[in-house]
Amino acid sequence: MSLLPARLAAHAHSQRVAIAESTRSISYSALWTAARRFAGALALRGIGSGDRVAILLPNSIEAVVACYGSWLVGAAVVPLNAQARARDYTVWLRHAAPRLLVHEAASADVDEALAALESPPLAIVVGAEPTRGESWAAEVDGCAALARVDSAQASDLALILYTSGTTGSPKGVMLSHANLAANVASILDYLQLRDDDSIVSVLPFYYSYGASVLHTHLAVGARVCLEANVVFPQVLVERLSSERATGFSGVPSTYALLLDRVSLASHDLGALRYLTQAGGAMAPATTARLRAALPQARLFVMYGQTEATARLTWLPPEQLEAKLGSVGVPIAGVRIAIRREDGAPAASDEVGEVWAQGANVMLGYWRNPEATASVLHEGWLKTGDLGRIDADGVLWLVGRRSDMIKTGAHRVHPLDVEEAIAELAGVLEVAVVGIDDAVLGQVIRACIVRRGNLDENTVRAHCRARLAAYKIPKQVIFVDALPKTASGKIKRAEVAAQAASTGAN
Amino acid sequence: MAIAHRPLVRNFILSNFLFTDEQSALTDSGSLITTGIVDSTGVLELITHLEEALSIRVPPEEMVPQNFDSVDAICAYLARKTAG
Repeated sequence: MSLLPARLAAHAHSQRVAIAESTRSISYSALWTAARRFAGALALRGIGSGDRVAILLPNSIEAVVACYGSWLVGAAVVPLNAQARARDYTVWLRHAAPRLLVHEAASADVDEALAALESPPLAIVVGAEPTRGESWAAEVDGCAALARVDSAQASDLALILYTSGTTGSPKGVMLSHANLAANVASILDYLQLRDDDSIVSVLPFYYSYGASVLHTHLAVGARVCLEANVVFPQVLVERLSSERATGFSGVPSTYALLLDRVSLASHDLGALRYLTQAGGAMAPATTARLRAALPQARLFVMYGQTEATARLTWLPPEQLEAKLGSVGVPIAGVRIAIRREDGAPAASDEVGEVWAQGANVMLGYWRNPEATASVLHEGWLKTGDLGRIDADGVLWLVGRRSDMIKTGAHRVHPLDVEEAIAELAGVLEVAVVGIDDAVLGQVIRACIVRRGNLDENTVRAHCRARLAAYKIPKQVIFVDALPKTASGKIKRAEVAAQAASTGAN
Repeated sequence: MAIAHRPLVRNFILSNFLFTDEQSALTDSGSLITTGIVDSTGVLELITHLEEALSIRVPPEEMVPQNFDSVDAICAYLARKTAG
């Protein structure tokens, strides 16, 4: 099975467009040269196998160049969430200890994080002339392309994807080149992408779904059109039309926006032949409306998680109607099992925890053996999702064991938000939970036991100064007490259940 | 009586997205999107508020960055929208 750098190299002489931003683009041939230049710049600094390169960029040509360029010298890539804040970056950079950080100019959060580090990494700065670090233009564009490519080995670490910024226990999902290659191959097996495909991508590369969309399309030589704008669905649909895009990937909230806020029928979307949906359950009614609005496109409902590189199951479009609401069957090379509380196999249609096995299952969490041991068990990944498998072998998800909140395209660990709120004077106790929401899937609610006259705005303003915008609670409520276990631990599940039963507004 | 657009827009953004009544926290010309002040659901909340307060309707094709990416842009759009 070809590893991703080799798959990109196979298109090294192609003049087709690889990445198209809204105002500039790069061909496969130029992308390959740029990646080798980036590799050359790393080699000059002695960065190679066993090292890590952190990339803190929005989706862009440079983000792709830095990723593949790092792989060409055998370094692992650590993509950091560009919407995160200084408190997250400090934790991640300290934990991942990269040799190099690639970031955009003029980021107060990055400056603050680097200043807090005992030994900050080298920095290459994209954009305006940097006040600190080296400029991309001088260091990469001006560097000789690496002639001899020591491409990484299958077992080498390729990516670390952080899923939480909590100070106590950062979780960085370690994916090997074999993991990535296996998942890309399995996805291509059902999506059947070709080099004349073009996808409009709104999903960040630092999330597993966005990374998966990028790498699957580059692997076949297709065009990836980057669109930053999901805020204005009109702009997005105009891009789909002007690019004559053949594919689009979204989370449920993106599709809800497209259906509710744009007249899809008044745009020429005739080239669309595939849509993918992952990132949480989409309401069956939304799925039905999407099918009716874009009948020319095959809709692939998918399920997975970062710990499995990205994908675990897919629902063949032909079965969408018959199995609506399910997440389908395992992708090629993956086994799915339902296990009872004690680890024993569940019966057909019996609800239990979803376990997965395959070449796409992560190596573990970076420098966190305890967290690794809690999910990797005898060759299986315990997903934390609850589900059942029907008589046809189709997986139906019914809930989640963990407290993780899914809001829009984002995953939020309650502890990240609780830690920030707890720093506020007047907060005695806090529990953060997800509340069902028609558009976003879930929204964040903070339940606080306060002292004095702390108000909602103070809490939210405090969060705005410290957390990514998507982590700011939409709802802040004050309660007299929080439910606890005998040992004093707050029972989040009970808080969430109470919120659900009182009818969140 | 005509409703002044600028305070209507500014106060909604300040109280709903910046959680403050401190007027200096928001500039009129800065991008609301790239600074992360307003996200996709925020834009919808803002538009719904303006539609109700001013009895206007914002059709999909007018929901674009040129009309909604800054306080100045929104005020210029509202002025055109309510003219005559």
